[in-house]
Amino acid sequence: MAGCRYSAEKPDPNDTVLYSSHGAKVRGLDPGDIGDTTSTAIASQIIEGLYQYHYLKRPYELIPSLAEGMPFVSKDGLAYTIKIKKGVRFADDVCFNDGKGRELRAGDFVFAWKRIADIKYLSKNWWIFDNKIVGLDEFREYTKTCKRTADVDYNSPVEGLQTPDDYTLVIKLKKPWPQIVYLLAHLPTAPMAQEAVEYYGKDIINHPVGTGPYKLKRWHKGSYIEMVKNPIFRDEFYPSEGEPNDARNGLLADAGKKLPLTNRLVTVLIQEDPPQWFLFLQGKIDVSGIPKDNFSEAIDLRRQLTPEMQARNIKLFTFRDTSTYWFGFNMEDEVLGKNLPLRMALSCAVDRDKYIELFTNNRGEPAYGFIPPLMSCYNPDIKNIAQTAYNLQNARKLVKEAERIYGSKLPRLTLAMPGTDIVFRQHGDFLKRYFKDAGLDVEIDYMDWPTFQNKIKTKSAQMFALGWVGDYPDAENFLQLFYSKNVSPGSNNFNYSNPEFDRIYENACVMPDSPERDALYKKAEEIVIKDCPAIFLTHGVAFVLTHDWALNVKPHAFAYGTSKYRRVDPVKKAAYSELLRTLK
Amino acid sequence: MIAYIIRRLLYTIPIIFGVLLVTFILFNVVSGDVSDQIAGKAASAETIAEIRAEYGWDKPLFLSWDSQFINHLKNSLTFDFGRSWSDREPIIDKIKQGALPSLSLTIPMFIGELIISISLALIVAFFRGTIIDILSVFICVVLMSVPFLSFILFGQYFLAFKWGLFPVYFWPDLPLPQYVALPILIGIVAGLGGNLRFYRTVMLDELRNDYVRTAFAKGLGTGTVLFRHVLKNAMIPIITQVVLAIPFLFLGSLLLERFFGIPGLGYLMIDAIAARDFQIINAMTFIGAILFVVFNLITDICYSIVDPRVSFE
Amino acid sequence: MIKGRSYWADSLRQLRKHTLAMYSLGIIVVYILVVMFIYLANWTKTDVSFLDWNQQVGKEYEKPNKQNILGTDFLGRSVLRKTIYGARVSLTIAFWASIISILIGVPLGAAAGYFRGFIDDIVVWIYTTLSSIPYILLILAFALVLRGKTLNLNSLGLGTISLSGISTVYLAIGLTSWVDICRLIRAEVMKHKQREYILAALSYGCSNSRIIFRHLIPNVFHLIIISFSLRFVGFIQAEVILSFLGLGEKNSPSWGAMIDAARLDLPKGYWWEMTAATAAIFLISLALNIFGDALRDSLDPKLKVQ
Repeated sequence: MAGCRYSAEKPDPNDTVLYSSHGAKVRGLDPGDIGDTTSTAIASQIIEGLYQYHYLKRPYELIPSLAEGMPFVSKDGLAYTIKIKKGVRFADDVCFNDGKGRELRAGDFVFAWKRIADIKYLSKNWWIFDNKIVGLDEFREYTKTCKRTADVDYNSPVEGLQTPDDYTLVIKLKKPWPQIVYLLAHLPTAPMAQEAVEYYGKDIINHPVGTGPYKLKRWHKGSYIEMVKNPIFRDEFYPSEGEPNDARNGLLADAGKKLPLTNRLVTVLIQEDPPQWFLFLQGKIDVSGIPKDNFSEAIDLRRQLTPEMQARNIKLFTFRDTSTYWFGFNMEDEVLGKNLPLRMALSCAVDRDKYIELFTNNRGEPAYGFIPPLMSCYNPDIKNIAQTAYNLQNARKLVKEAERIYGSKLPRLTLAMPGTDIVFRQHGDFLKRYFKDAGLDVEIDYMDWPTFQNKIKTKSAQMFALGWVGDYPDAENFLQLFYSKNVSPGSNNFNYSNPEFDRIYENACVMPDSPERDALYKKAEEIVIKDCPAIFLTHGVAFVLTHDWALNVKPHAFAYGTSKYRRVDPVKKAAYSELLRTLK
Repeated sequence: MIAYIIRRLLYTIPIIFGVLLVTFILFNVVSGDVSDQIAGKAASAETIAEIRAEYGWDKPLFLSWDSQFINHLKNSLTFDFGRSWSDREPIIDKIKQGALPSLSLTIPMFIGELIISISLALIVAFFRGTIIDILSVFICVVLMSVPFLSFILFGQYFLAFKWGLFPVYFWPDLPLPQYVALPILIGIVAGLGGNLRFYRTVMLDELRNDYVRTAFAKGLGTGTVLFRHVLKNAMIPIITQVVLAIPFLFLGSLLLERFFGIPGLGYLMIDAIAARDFQIINAMTFIGAILFVVFNLITDICYSIVDPRVSFE
Repeated sequence: MIKGRSYWADSLRQLRKHTLAMYSLGIIVVYILVVMFIYLANWTKTDVSFLDWNQQVGKEYEKPNKQNILGTDFLGRSVLRKTIYGARVSLTIAFWASIISILIGVPLGAAAGYFRGFIDDIVVWIYTTLSSIPYILLILAFALVLRGKTLNLNSLGLGTISLSGISTVYLAIGLTSWVDICRLIRAEVMKHKQREYILAALSYGCSNSRIIFRHLIPNVFHLIIISFSLRFVGFIQAEVILSFLGLGEKNSPSWGAMIDAARLDLPKGYWWEMTAATAAIFLISLALNIFGDALRDSLDPKLKVQ
C-alpha cells in the first residue's frame, strides 16, 4: 500500500515509548553465548524460551511461554516430553526466505542446544548441559575431533534430544534433574533459527532473531539501543491474577490486554552515576532498564525517600533478591583451613547491621547462612546455629583461641577484592576498621575482575569477597557451591569438602520439590554453617525507582523479559515538566 | 632539498618499527594471553585452548616465521586488528565509528581554544607589565591548578542539571550541537589556562627581540608592532604547536566523552582500559603513533621549505 | 669598583625580591614539612591525633561544622585529617616521578648531546618512539602492566620490591615522562659543546666524563630545576586521573581518591570531600606555578640586566 511508506516518516501520535538506562555495555545478543546481566536483559525482550515466570504471582512460579503446557515427566524422572505452541513465528528478518519469519519448530531447540555443546562455538553456557542429557556430551566430544567449525555435522543424532514431530520435544536425562524446568526459562536455552546462524555467522551477536514481543531496531554501539514492537508477536495477554495487593496497587488495571503494551523501548547507556541520576530526576528516564539495577550508588536512602524525591512523586519498590553476599575462606589455606576459631572470630568481628546501613541504604537483611529468605527451605533459626553474630567480646575471645591453635601470634591475612573503584575501597576501609577492633590484622588486596577470578581458580586467594545470585528458586543452586566435586576451578570457591554434606546433597538434588527435600536442604546447610567456610554478610534486597507515570512495574527476582508488561501514562508524564517548573 | 625529504621519510621507518616493538612488548609479552578471561567463569580447559588458538596466543613470541611478533607487525601495518574478544566486533570498525563523534568534540574545542587564547594573549601582551598582565597570569595559574575532573563534575552539576542551561547528557535524536556544547565549553575553559600562558610567553619572547626594539625606536605604536610584526613571527612556534596537536584530536577526550555520553574514541579507550582490553588499547596506541609521525613529517618538510638552513643539519 | 656577583647569587637576589614567589615558596615549604612530618610520625610509630585519618570522629557524611571543619566522609572520618594525610601520596608520587624522569632523562640527554653520532641516534630514536605514543595511553599501559609484578633488584643489592599502589604510579609516570627533559638537556649540551670553555678543557686533555660532570651538567643545572618545579604540578594532576581509573593508592587517603569518591557523593549533595581535595591540589599547584615561573625568570640568562 502506497500510504504505508509515508506514514513511517510522520511521527505517530499513538506511538508509546519507554525510556530506560543501563550502566554497562551490552556485549552481545546471542543467547547461546550470553553471560552478562545487561545483555541478558536486552536480549530477553527479543528472544524467548520454553518457559517463563509469572509476572505477578508470588511465590515465583513458572508458566509456559513457547511451550504448550508444563512438561510431561516420566515416572523415573528421566524423560521430559514438551509440546511446542503451534503457529509461533520468528520475527521477520532478511535471513529467512522472502524476509518472512518462519514458524517455530521443536528442532530449533535441538539446534540451539547442540550449538552450545559444540566446542567450536566457544559457548560460556555449556555448564547448563554438562553431563545432563543423554548423548550430548558425546556430541561435544565429537565436535572436538572436527578440524574446523564448518565440519561439524548438526544432523548427527543425539539420543537425548528427539523431535518425533515438529511440535514435540523429548528430552532424555542421565539422571533426574528437577531443576531443568527452571533452566528452560533461562535465556541461553532459547531456540535458534538455523537460517539466522548461517546468514549472520559471527555477526549474530548484533542481529538477534527471536520470537519475542520486540525486535531490534537501532543499536548505536556504546550509546543506545532501540527496540520496536514485533508486529507478528503471538497472542499473549497481561495476567489477570496476582498477589492480594496487586489490584490495590493498580497492577491489574491492564489485565487481559494484548502484549506488549508499549510500542518502543529505548535504553541509553550511561556508565557514570551523576548523569544517570540527573537524567532520571529530569524525567527523561522512566525506569531503570535492568530489573536488578538501581541507583543505589547515586542516592542516599538511609531513612526513606528524601523530600526532594517525594515532591517529584518518585516511587520506590523494594524486593527480596535471591542473593547472598559473603567473604569466603579458602578452606585449603594453611592458616585458615585448620583453624575454626579464627574463621568464627573473623565472622563475629563484622557488624552486619552497620554494613547494611552504610552500603545498602538500610535495605538488606543480615545473613548467617547462604540460603536466602526467599527460598522455602530458609531456616529462620540459622543465626543461632551459626553463632557468628556481631560480638566484639566473642571475637576477641575466639582470636585468643585461634592463637593457641596456631601456636603463635596470628600472621597477616589477605582479603581479595574484585575491583579497584571507590565502592570497593569503601568496603575495604569498612572491613579494616572492624577487623582491627577485634585484634585481627587483615590486608585488603584490590584487583580487577579477571585477576580476581584467576586467583580464585588457582586457589591462591586466602579470603575473597564474592556472592551468589540465585539463577532460579531452588536452593540446589546454592548448595552446589559447597559440593566437593565442584572445587576450583569449579564453582566451589571455598574448596569446601565434607563427605556427609556430599551425600545429603547428592540425594536431595535429584528429588522433586517437597517438604522432605526442604528438610534435607536445611540439614545440608547446617553442616556447612557449622564449619564456617565464610563470613556470610547479607541477603540482597534490591530496589527499583520509577516515576509515577511508569505503570505496571513490579520487581521480579528472576525474570528479565518484563518490559512487555510496562507502559507509560502520557498525561502524567506531560504533567511532570510542569511539576518540575513549580519546584524550582 | 629532495634529499632531505627522502632522509626524513626513511627516518620514519625505524620510528614506526620502534612503536611496534614497544606496543608488542607492552601488550603481548607482558600481558597478552587472556583466553581464560574470555572463556568465562565455568569454562573447560578445551574451550580455553580453542580460544587461545583462535587469537593466536599459542604461537611462539619471536622466533618463527609465524611468530606473534611477525603477526603483530603484519596486522598493525594493514590496520587489521582482529575482532575484539569482548563483543567479536572488528576493532577497526569500532575505531572508524568512534572517530567522527570524537572529532565533533575536539575540533570545535581546539579551534575555540586557539582563537580565544591567541586573542587574549595578544591583548595581554599589549598590556604587558600592567596590572592586567599580572592578573591574567594569576587567573591562568588558577585555571591550570584545578583538576580536570573537578571541572567536569561541577560543570555538569551546575550548568546542566541545576540551572538547565545545557542538556545533561547525550540523548537519542537530540541534535549533535546541543549535547556537545557543554563538553566543548568545559574543555575550552579547562584548557584556557595552559594555552593562554603558552601563547603569552611566545608573544613576550618575540617582544624581547632586537627587531622589536628597532620598531619601537622607529616610533611605531605597540599595537602596530604586535599585529604587523610579532604575530607573524610568533606564528612559527604557534603553528608547530597546532600541527603537532592535531593527531591528539583523534583520541577525543576520555573524561568528557564518558561523562557526557559521546560515543567517540575517548570513550572507547576508557572502556578498554577498564576491561583491560589490550587489543583495543594496542590498536589505538598504534594509530595515535602513526598520526603523530605523519604530522611530524609534514611539519618538518614545511619547515625545510620555509627555512633552508634546516635541511643542512 | 662594582663587586662581581656569581650567577647563582644574582638569581637568588632577584628571586627574593619577587614577593608573590616568596609566599608561594612558603606554601610549598609548608606542604613539604607536613609530608615529612607524616613520614617521621609513621617511622617512629608515634600517634599524632591530627594524622589519625582512620578514626571515626562523627556521624557519617556530616556537613562542615564547628567540630569537624571540613565535615566527615562515609565512615564518619575527618575530611580535614584525610586531606592533610593525602598530601603524602600526592607529593611522594610527584617527587619520585620527577626524580626518576630526571635520572633517566639527564644522563641520556647529556650523552646524546655530547657524544653525538651513534649514541645520539639511539637516544633520539628511543625518545621519538616514546613521544609518538599518546602520553596518557603510555602511562596507562605501563601502570596496568606493572601492577602486581615484583622488581628483582637483588643485583643492585636492594632486594625485591613489590610493586603496588604508589610505586606503580610513580614508576609509570617517571618512566614515561623523561622525554622532555632529555630533549632539553641534549639541545643545551650541544650548544655548550661549541663554547670556548669546553674547547679549552678538551685541549688540555680533560676526560669526557669529567667534562660532562664537572662542566656541562652544572651549567645546565638551572634547566633541570625549572623543569622539576614545573613538571611537579603535572604529576600531581596525573595522580588524580590514575586514581579515577583505579590505578592509584588504595590503602591510605589520596586527593585523587577523594575526588573520585565525588562521583558517588555529588549527586547525593555531599560536596565537601571533593572541594577539600580540589582546594589542596589547587593551592600547591598555584604555588608551584608562581614559584616555578619566578625561578625561570630569575635563572634565565637572557633576562639578566647587564
